[in-house]
Amino acid sequence: MRETARAALPSVASVITSLVVCFLAVAVLRGGLEVALDAFLAMTWGAFGDFPRFFDGGTSAAVLRPLGESATKAAILTLTGLSVAVAFRVGLFNIGAQGQLIVGALAAAVVGAGVELPTALHVALCLLAAAAGGALYALGPALLKRYRGVHEVISTIMLNWVALSLVENWLVTGPLRATTTGDNSIAGTAQIHASAELPRLLGDVSRLNAGILLAIAAAVALWLWLTRFVGGFQWRAVGANPEAARASGVNVGRAFISAMLVSGALAGLAGAVLILGTEQRYPATIGAPYGFDGIAMALIGNGHPLGVLASALLFGGLRAGGTRMQLFGVHKSFPELIQGLALLLVAARLMWMKVSDRLLKPKGGP
Amino acid sequence: MRQCAAVTVTIALRHIKKRFGSQVALDDVSLELGRGERVALVGENGAGKSSLMNVLYGLYGADAGEVAIDGKKVRLRTPADALAHGIGMVHQHFTLVGPLTVAENVVLGREPTKAGLLDLPRAKAEVAATCARFGFVLDVNARVDTLSVGSQQKVEIVKALHRGVSTLILDEPTAVLTPQEADELFAVTRRLSDEGLTVVLISHKLREVLSFATRIAVLRRGKKVAEVTPEESTQASLAALMVGEREAPAAPPASTPGDVVVALAHGACGKLKDVSLEVRAGEVLGIAGVDGNGQRELAAVLTGLSRLDGGTLHLLGSPQPSLTPRAARRLGVAHIPEDRLHHAVVTDFTVAENVALGRQHQAPFAKGPRIDFEGRLSRTTSLLEAHDVRPRAPSLRLGALSGGNQQKLVVARELDANPKLLVAVQPTRGLDLAAVDAVRSRLLDFRAQGGAVVLVSLDLEEVLALSDRVVVLYEGRVTGEFTRGEFDERLIGERMLGVRDA
Repeated sequence: MRETARAALPSVASVITSLVVCFLAVAVLRGGLEVALDAFLAMTWGAFGDFPRFFDGGTSAAVLRPLGESATKAAILTLTGLSVAVAFRVGLFNIGAQGQLIVGALAAAVVGAGVELPTALHVALCLLAAAAGGALYALGPALLKRYRGVHEVISTIMLNWVALSLVENWLVTGPLRATTTGDNSIAGTAQIHASAELPRLLGDVSRLNAGILLAIAAAVALWLWLTRFVGGFQWRAVGANPEAARASGVNVGRAFISAMLVSGALAGLAGAVLILGTEQRYPATIGAPYGFDGIAMALIGNGHPLGVLASALLFGGLRAGGTRMQLFGVHKSFPELIQGLALLLVAARLMWMKVSDRLLKPKGGP
Repeated sequence: MRQCAAVTVTIALRHIKKRFGSQVALDDVSLELGRGERVALVGENGAGKSSLMNVLYGLYGADAGEVAIDGKKVRLRTPADALAHGIGMVHQHFTLVGPLTVAENVVLGREPTKAGLLDLPRAKAEVAATCARFGFVLDVNARVDTLSVGSQQKVEIVKALHRGVSTLILDEPTAVLTPQEADELFAVTRRLSDEGLTVVLISHKLREVLSFATRIAVLRRGKKVAEVTPEESTQASLAALMVGEREAPAAPPASTPGDVVVALAHGACGKLKDVSLEVRAGEVLGIAGVDGNGQRELAAVLTGLSRLDGGTLHLLGSPQPSLTPRAARRLGVAHIPEDRLHHAVVTDFTVAENVALGRQHQAPFAKGPRIDFEGRLSRTTSLLEAHDVRPRAPSLRLGALSGGNQQKLVVARELDANPKLLVAVQPTRGLDLAAVDAVRSRLLDFRAQGGAVVLVSLDLEEVLALSDRVVVLYEGRVTGEFTRGEFDERLIGERMLGVRDA
C-alpha cells in the first residue's frame, strides 16, 4: 500500500501544484482571486457537469452534456496515453503515437465509409482496421530497432511527419477526397455510414459515446496483463533490466516487437474513436496533437495503465471545461498550460521522491 | 597541495550514529586517524565500514556525533566539503567517464581554463605532473574505457591526489584487481603513506589487511568491537573478532565424476581463442586466470549469452550450434553471473518477482499464462528460509536488500531450478565471511548431489578450495590443467601469467 502511495505521490502532487500555480497566475493577471475562482469553477462545471445550473432547475443536459464532451476527449487521451505507456514499460519511447493515430483514423474512416455492414459488426471492423493500421505503422520502427539497432525515438518521430504528409497532404485531399454533391464541397473523406458510428450512450442529450468504455476496458486489460500475466511480467522485466531479462531466457527482441505492436494498435484505436465518435469522416486535418498529449498522459500517469486513465479523465475534463474560461478572459488552451506544468513537475521525480520519503516515513517505529 | 607538516594531524570521528529505516548502521562509533597512518576497517557485510567512511566523505549525514579535523569540528555535508578538507575516497564502483581521457577525468570538476575555455594542454601537463610526482605510470591521453580495471583505479587515486587530499579512503580496492595489480596498489599507497598520506582501507581480505595496515579497527553490527595492531593479530583472531568463532569449511570429499555434461572443443568467441574442456556430473571444474583472459566469454558461451565463433559445444550429449539463454535454461544450465546487478536481478522488482525470473512460465510461478501469486509466494518464503536470506520479506523491493543477501538469493534461485550444470562466476565476490561460507557449501552440496559446476573466479584460493580439477586460461587458451592432489599454487600462478615450460 505504501509502495503504491509512494509511486503515485509525485504525479498527484505535481497536478495539484500545477493547478495551484495556474490559479494564482490567473488571479494575478486577471485582477483578483475572485475572478480566478470564478474561472476555475466555470472550468470545473464545464468539465464534470454544471451542477449549480442543474440544481437551479436546469435539465439533466446541464450535467450530461459537459460530461459527454469530457469523456470523448478523455477516451482519446487514455488510448494514446496507454500507447506511450505500454512502450515505456518495455523500455521503449514511442514518440510516434501521433502518426499511428493518423493511420488508424484514416483506416477507420475508409472502412466506415466504404463498407456496408450491420452496426455492431461495422463498428468492430472499423476498430480492427484502425488497430491493425496503427500496429503496422509501429512495426517498422520495432523491426528497425530489433534488427538494425535504430533508436525508436528517431524512427517514430520521423514517421509522424510521413503519416501527416501522406494522409493529410495527399490522400485526404486527393484520392480519398469526398466527391462533392452540387454546390456542397466537403473537406476530408466521405462521411462514414451511421452503422459505423460509435453508439451514443445517452441518446441525443450528450455526445457521450462508447469510446470511453473502450478506453476504460483497454486500461484495465493492460493493467491486468502487466500485473497478472507471465507475458506482462516479461515485458516489465525487459523494461527494467533487459540484460537480466535476456539472461533469464526472455526473448527481448520479441518483447520489443509485440509491445510496439500493442502500442501502435492503441494509438490506432484512439484515431478510430476520434473518427467514429466525433468527426464521422477524416477531416481535412486532425490538428490536435493527441499523440503527443499521450506522452504527457503516460508520464503523469507514471506508466501505470490506471494512472494513465486517471490522468486522461482529469485532463480530458479540464480541456472540455477550458472553453468556458473564455468568459473570464482566459484563453481556452489554458488547460494545456496546466497539463504542461504538471508534466514539468513530474519530470522532477527525484524531488518528489524526497518529499514522499519524508511524508511516508513510518512513524513511531525505528 | 599536501602539506608536509611535522605535527601529527588527526581526524577524529566521535560517537557517530546512523540508521537507515529500522537498520542501525552505526551505533556510537569513534575512530581517530593520525597523519601517515594506514588504518584498516574490517567487518562483515553490513557491519558499518562503508557507512562510517561515507559519513566521513560527506555522502551520508550522521544522525548523531561529530567529525573533528585538527581538533576543530567540521561539517561534512557533501563530498565537496570533504574534498575541501583534504579527504578523498575511491569507491568499489568507479566514478569515471568512460569516453573521456585520463587527463579529462582527473580534472573534471576543476578544469583549468583559458579565456573561459577548457585549457586541455595545461590539464594534460598538470595531470602528467601529478602522476610523475606520485609515481603513477599512466597515459594521460588514453580513453578511460580502454584501460584495465587496475589502471582505472589508478586514475581514481590520481584524481584524489590531484585535488590535494591528505586522507585517502579505499573501499575494497582489491575486489576488482588481479593479484599483481593489488600488490602494485599496496606498494604505491604504502609509499604515499610514508610521505604523509593517511590511508583508510576497507577490505574483506584479512591477509592484505595484516600486511598493509598499521592499525586495524574491527566493526561488528555497527559497533567498533576492537582496535588492534597487525603484530598482535592473525587472520584467525581477526575473523574471530568480526564474527565470533567459526569453523573453517571442510575440504570437499573426493568426487566420483559421472557422465560428461559439458564438452567444448576448440571453442572460440572474442577473447576466447581455442579452448577445449570437459565437465562431468558431480565435479567442480575451476577456471583460473587473470581477469580478461577469456573467462567471461567462456561463461557466456556455456549459458547461451554469446554464440561460438568457432568450435563445437555439446551439452548433456547433444550438440548446441546456436544456444540461446532460454534453451540453455531449458537444458538445465543455471548461471550465477559476475555482474549481479546487470545480469541476474531486477532491482526494481520485488524479491518474489526476482525468484520467479528465469522460470516465470513454469510451476509454481505460473498457471498457464497467468502468474501464480500463491505458488510464487510460498516458494519464495521457503527459499528465503532455507538459504537464510534477510529480511524474510518476499514483497520487498530487491534493491533494498544488502549485496550479500541479493547474492544469496541468486544462488538460491539458480539451484532451486534443479539444474544439471551451474556456471558460477565470482560467486562470492564482495560477500562477508558468513555469506562466502554459505555460498561455497551450497556449491559443494550441489556437486555432491551429482551436479556439474564450472567455477570462474579471480580468487585462486577459492578455485583451489572448491575445485576437483582446475583449467588455467591465458590469452584465451588453456595453458594448464591440474587435478586435485596435484595442485601446485606456484605452477598454476606461472601458467596464469603465461610462463611456459622451457
